[in-house]
Amino acid sequence: MTMLPKPRPGAKKLGLVVDLDTCVGCHACAVNCKEWNTGGQAGILPDYDKYGANPDGVWFNRIHSYETEGEGCSRTVNVPRSCMHCEDALCVTVCPTGASYKRAEDGIVLIDTDICIGCKLCSWACPYGARELDEVEGVMRKCTLCVDRIYDEKLPPAEREPACVATCPSRARHFGDLADPQSKVSRLVAERGGVDLLAELGFRPTNKYLPPRRATIPAEPPKARTSGGFGAALLGLLDRALSR
Amino acid sequence: MRPDASILLLTTSTGFGYGLLAWLGVEAALGVMPAGRMRTLVAAGLAVSLVLVSIGLAASAFHLGRKERAWRAFSQWRSSWLSREGVASVLTYPVAIAFGIIAWRHGEGVWTRVLGVAALGASLGTVYCTAMIYASLKPIRQWHNAHTAPDYLLYALFSGALLLAVIHTVVLGAPGALASAAAAAAAALALVAKRAYWRHIDSQKPLATLAAAIGLPKGNEARPLDAPHFTENFILREMGFVIARRHTAKLRPLVIAIGFASPLVLSVLAGLAVAPMTTTMLALVCAALGLLTERWLFFAEATHVSALYYGRPI
Repeated sequence: MTMLPKPRPGAKKLGLVVDLDTCVGCHACAVNCKEWNTGGQAGILPDYDKYGANPDGVWFNRIHSYETEGEGCSRTVNVPRSCMHCEDALCVTVCPTGASYKRAEDGIVLIDTDICIGCKLCSWACPYGARELDEVEGVMRKCTLCVDRIYDEKLPPAEREPACVATCPSRARHFGDLADPQSKVSRLVAERGGVDLLAELGFRPTNKYLPPRRATIPAEPPKARTSGGFGAALLGLLDRALSR
Repeated sequence: MRPDASILLLTTSTGFGYGLLAWLGVEAALGVMPAGRMRTLVAAGLAVSLVLVSIGLAASAFHLGRKERAWRAFSQWRSSWLSREGVASVLTYPVAIAFGIIAWRHGEGVWTRVLGVAALGASLGTVYCTAMIYASLKPIRQWHNAHTAPDYLLYALFSGALLLAVIHTVVLGAPGALASAAAAAAAALALVAKRAYWRHIDSQKPLATLAAAIGLPKGNEARPLDAPHFTENFILREMGFVIARRHTAKLRPLVIAIGFASPLVLSVLAGLAVAPMTTTMLALVCAALGLLTERWLFFAEATHVSALYYGRPI
């Protein structure tokens, strides 16, 4: 059913919090996502022209790098982009078949690929470009928030998190319940001023992004060189030569 | 947005078909069909209309990844305009057929008029659903605006009026005052509407800046440094379609001249009984070519906000 679920009191809002301050743009999250979702018995993320000149394929997570300027500094910002599991998920309501749905209990947006007709309308409705067509099966694919990991009781509790979060070497990705103000992710968002991407479009994404912090390490002012005779002059010369 | 041949054919062909059905309904409701030829007019009109509609709907299945599951698209009419379009298009068939049967058996009469109104409502309702598929997509500013739905209705009525004039000419020898006037007026309105639409989308601002798309506060600027991948992917092929400004500049006047101005002049000539068979047919051919180009532009000029992440213009 592609009507959005009515908000339930106490329902979870599972999602990701991505720290743009510490993301180093290494693509490990995208690679581990691809590996997890394409491995096993039912690999679902096809690749086309794998070893050819134009390799292409379906990925749930794409990492962009940008140069930014403002607030008195310029910097590189790496932005992982995947499904935001929006509260006003237009991709769900436009679906003509009921294949695209949002779960009432935890807000995860999923696709029932057994009934998807591959009309692509949901991909047009998503402002984040988070849905990609599987051109082999003719159905749409998207991030599942690793629904097959986070509820898997055979996994040790510490591993019950999305593959992208588990693998992030700079701990820039966090997973949790954003409906609970006391959860680790909610506190992070509150402390760091987490934001919605494309907030003005009004899709109310669940995933939040922590903006890059301003560089606050003050540079020490250069010390005035004191004349200290031959020894100091020699040391000064050495210092200049070595710090070139 | 990538112009997909099957969707261009779907929206233009059903526009002609439903437009014609709407005008047949108007004529029946007003009781202005010549009594002696009503059966032929309705039968010919319905046949042409339903063939065009069916071609369009069949074409729409070609862009599906899983054609055999197309029937599932009728289920989500409560939220999805695409589903509503499917339901409306299927419901229009029995209405059109009932209208044809009653008009054939009873000629003029209350029920013919009632079913004429029903055929008008069902056909325009379906066109409206089609238009709303595009108008409801918030990430695409060239579609999500107040022009899209009225424009689709107008182009359907315009193309239907030209078809009606041809059918009148074939059956009755002349297009008649109503069909010619309707065709000329619809052509003029469609021309004005298309120009207003282009003015509107040309004056719109992009939906967002790249800095906002990556969550940076105001006062920041961002430009792409490294893309996630070095070849085109589904998102870029489907949503990152970019049309060169020089192509737009060439195609827009062509749409106005061939799609709207020529049919306008030809319909006036047909109304004045200047070689009606040639002028009405020529008007129809011009409009078909013009509207296919117009629909191609409707897609090609539409930009999707997600292309922003790749630094493409939106």
